[in-house]
Amino acid sequence: MNAIEHIPTVCPCCGCGCGIELVLKNGEIAGVEPLKSHPVCKGKNCLKGKNAYLYANSEERLTTPLIKKNGKHEACSWDEALDWIAQKLSEADRDAVGFINSGKCTNEDLYLIQKFARIVCKTNNLDNASRFCHSTSVPALLSTVGAGVMPTSTPSIEKADCVLIMGANIQETYPLLAQKVIIARTKGAKIITADLRRTPTVKNLTDLHLQIHPGTDAALINGMMKIILDQGLANTDFIEKRTSGFDELKAYLDTLDLQEIEKITGIKTEQMKDAALSYASAHNACIMFNAGIAQHAGGVETIQTLADMALLTGNYGKPGSGVNPLRGHSNGEGFGDMGTVPVFYPGFQKVNEETAGRFASMWDAADLPAKPGLTYMEMVEKCPFLYIMGANPAMSAPDINALRKAFEKKELVIVQDIFMTETAQMADVVLAGACGAEKDGTQTGVDRRVQRLRKAIAPVGDALPDWQILCRLAEKMGAGEHFAFKTSEEIFEEIRNCVPQYRGITYERLEQAGGIQWPCPDEGHPGTETMFVEKFGTPDGLAHFQAAPYKAPLEPPDDAYPYILTTGRLNFHFHTGSMTRRTERLQNEISEAFAEISPQDSENTGIADGEEVILRSRRGEVKTRARVTPDIKAGQVFLPWHFPQCLANILTGPSAGPPSRMPEFKFSAIQIEKVESDGK
Amino acid sequence: MENNLYLAWSPDATIQGMGSSGGAVTALLRCALENQMVDAVLAVKKRNNSRFDAVPTLITDPELVHETAGAMHFAPLNMVKIIKEYLDGAMDMRVAVTCKPCDARAFIELAKRNQVRRENLFLVGLNCSGTYLPTVAEQMIREAFGENPQDLAGEEVDEGKLIITLKDGSTKEKDLEELVRQGYEMRENCLRCSYKVPRMADIACGKWGNNGKSATFIEICSPKGHEFLDAAAQNGALVMEPATNEQIEKRKQKETEAVENAQAREKQEIEAFKRYSSEERLKYWLGHLSRCIKCFGCRDACPICFCKECYLEPYRGCIPGGETPPDIMFQLIRLSHVADSCVNCGQCQDACPMEIPLTRLYSVLNRELADIFDYKPGVDIDQPPPLTTVTEQELSIDAPDIIGENSSDR
Repeated sequence: MNAIEHIPTVCPCCGCGCGIELVLKNGEIAGVEPLKSHPVCKGKNCLKGKNAYLYANSEERLTTPLIKKNGKHEACSWDEALDWIAQKLSEADRDAVGFINSGKCTNEDLYLIQKFARIVCKTNNLDNASRFCHSTSVPALLSTVGAGVMPTSTPSIEKADCVLIMGANIQETYPLLAQKVIIARTKGAKIITADLRRTPTVKNLTDLHLQIHPGTDAALINGMMKIILDQGLANTDFIEKRTSGFDELKAYLDTLDLQEIEKITGIKTEQMKDAALSYASAHNACIMFNAGIAQHAGGVETIQTLADMALLTGNYGKPGSGVNPLRGHSNGEGFGDMGTVPVFYPGFQKVNEETAGRFASMWDAADLPAKPGLTYMEMVEKCPFLYIMGANPAMSAPDINALRKAFEKKELVIVQDIFMTETAQMADVVLAGACGAEKDGTQTGVDRRVQRLRKAIAPVGDALPDWQILCRLAEKMGAGEHFAFKTSEEIFEEIRNCVPQYRGITYERLEQAGGIQWPCPDEGHPGTETMFVEKFGTPDGLAHFQAAPYKAPLEPPDDAYPYILTTGRLNFHFHTGSMTRRTERLQNEISEAFAEISPQDSENTGIADGEEVILRSRRGEVKTRARVTPDIKAGQVFLPWHFPQCLANILTGPSAGPPSRMPEFKFSAIQIEKVESDGK
Repeated sequence: MENNLYLAWSPDATIQGMGSSGGAVTALLRCALENQMVDAVLAVKKRNNSRFDAVPTLITDPELVHETAGAMHFAPLNMVKIIKEYLDGAMDMRVAVTCKPCDARAFIELAKRNQVRRENLFLVGLNCSGTYLPTVAEQMIREAFGENPQDLAGEEVDEGKLIITLKDGSTKEKDLEELVRQGYEMRENCLRCSYKVPRMADIACGKWGNNGKSATFIEICSPKGHEFLDAAAQNGALVMEPATNEQIEKRKQKETEAVENAQAREKQEIEAFKRYSSEERLKYWLGHLSRCIKCFGCRDACPICFCKECYLEPYRGCIPGGETPPDIMFQLIRLSHVADSCVNCGQCQDACPMEIPLTRLYSVLNRELADIFDYKPGVDIDQPPPLTTVTEQELSIDAPDIIGENSSDR
């Protein structure tokens, strides 16, 4: 007799955190259904969610550890792989090891990797792809409102009567957030989108499209703030009671000239007025922003202007408002919360002597590292030993040619993953990880929502959950006493003790669909839907206006490289496609890249729709097919970055300096060249 | 048994208390399993004791049947998909399935297409006055009723009211219309549905006509229905009394009223569309459909869709892959495949992340097709679906002239 089981868990494919049910037939995954009782997805999933975890059974799954011998990866036992790693790592100098982790891992996996890095290798060299998407959001929002998280609850977006979408194509990249915007719009909300392209979000969900010149959003928002002030629409009560620094902001805005801003942004003053007035006169105005804003050298400034505008109009501390960064990964919030970054221990506790001391007592471990560690690309460039868990920099990092050269010189590259990714191909040791359907754990999605991942099937072959691999390795390196965890729940109990925001959350309390949103200070607390209701996260509890001028991109187009390249994502794939390109229905939809170019550029270059084209930057070149479309402006080119045959990040390169060190993925200068039909 | 209208209840006090209305369905299913009249029971269970979170459950142990007791208005599941997709259409197992009228109708439609084996299904139809989406219901209990949703022990719809029972035994009620004014409405398809009593199942069970007695009013609709109820009565699992005229009348009255409301609503919807010109109607639908992100949620949720090699998938070469929204043919193909047999279950609209009012589209079209072909989906297993059937009469029509009168294409 057939046994049918429904296992509720969370989709691994983006930060929305949609509930899904894995349907098991006789113990094997037979299908995926949306979870009807889930407060975020409400029984709806996108195509990625409807195929979630079907890649678990792919033939390409890593099933054993592998060691590279004579240029080839050969299967070996766990002991062999881990003994060798233990030996090499013990010989490594302090700070010679870099740990690159991932938002695809659970909170438990991540908590252990930072514990390992800090106790065993005594280093704060920990970083992850949040460097590549919200390393600008964090300092910007810390300086204004005191916390770099999404302050609104996803379901409450429906309550907004004005939504401003900045640099995000939510209909394709966060469909279940788009669903909330659609509901708001049905109730009469005005939707304004700033994007250099006419994306599906622009065409299908937007009332006012600000087709902005790439990277100039800070100028636009400063201009809108000037208009709001001039029109007397600032919320003076809110400004007085809950903020500081208004005078400096006003003084700066008074220096601005709207005509200048028109020239910089390409947005007519009338449109700026329309947007500004709609935003400022709404009861609940909600700003959502993503990589189109954050992945710029001037990202910090731009995000500060967004926070300024929300504060100016009193749009914080109530449902359906705020300035909301959208974390990309399913555990995109968790991989900040767990302190797997060079400047924070778990729970956003700054790396310094005091914090190191506190964790030393908590963990009963001596001599913990007290100085900030290296960031992602610094580790790629400088660390002779790299431990990469769940990340794929060979596709996601900027300037891939340089990365490949750097990898050739490494002492040891360890990659722990579920597939032989492009990065794993370059590894000396590959450790086979269990995927999210094969282990228990928790993940934290965009709106601080901690949810339970439930194990549905056993790991394939000899694959092990990431946290178990780390425990075994720690044991071999003499640190077993700090890693004596038998279950993921035991790890979570330790997490709760040192991450104040998680203190009131338990596995038992996480049984309900939709999990619990942090901060949750104690077990009686229901979790927090809306942040900053009474106080901001700053030391004085007030929000701080920051006058933030527009900053030009690092690599403007010139005669040699006259086009502006921007990169982005599609509906059917997630990030480097390690999961989605191995999912049949998604790969069948689209498996190859394309370059969007305008009809004008097509005419000027003679490149017709569908023809092969070479894109070249100062760092390298790629070949793909042109897609001629009026949805992009002349002088601009769009490339999705999901496909290894056309690595968009061969072209990208320059990064901002501290504090963000954000690679400017959204703005590179390139040439485009027709490929002659005889193959030249 | 010659009669087919009964009041029934379990003589076992425990089972009586667990189910709604005397635990008759629970007792019947348990008896069917105990006597191996079916290999399994497919019913609905609460997950974590929540009335808003239902899981379809396949039961083979009679002792576990009681875990599924109680009708759930706040967790409308797609029972048909489990059988169709995960249990091979019940081709080689006998299953008793508790089903709403829309589920039962879908089973009939699939049986016509040889996608489920009707003989292997014992369809335990449950009367339905309508359901709410779980997240809507949860918010309604919290905000309109002012109660903690976790305290909900039961709910029912009667005489235009929603009556809830809390764990402490107390009840609260509100007018359905008042709830609508506050923004809490049943699922759209339920509002227009006139199939309140599932006579296309083997039995139809409900509480209309029990006149407050702790009993289920059962209408036996097939020989199989008689067979199962006879067995239950003979085994002492069920006590059955022929329904009195008063009970029958009361039931008829309630059904008529509910059906009239639904028909009025349906009429209203269709009139609204008839007021649009063709261009306006097209604009309305294209506007909604342009939001489609090709999640296939509608197709996956549709109980009628069954093709293993779906024509909408890109490898079939008809709808180009990778486009958002997909070519409009995506929508039109699904419509042309399914519209004649849409049973108005609403699962497509529930599944759509872009809030496209799909059941409105399908039901309006289905209504027109139903009139043209005199076809009622999911009622008569011997009535073949019109769009996939050619009649003798149709075969003898001269080739239709497809060029229009005013066309200059001649």
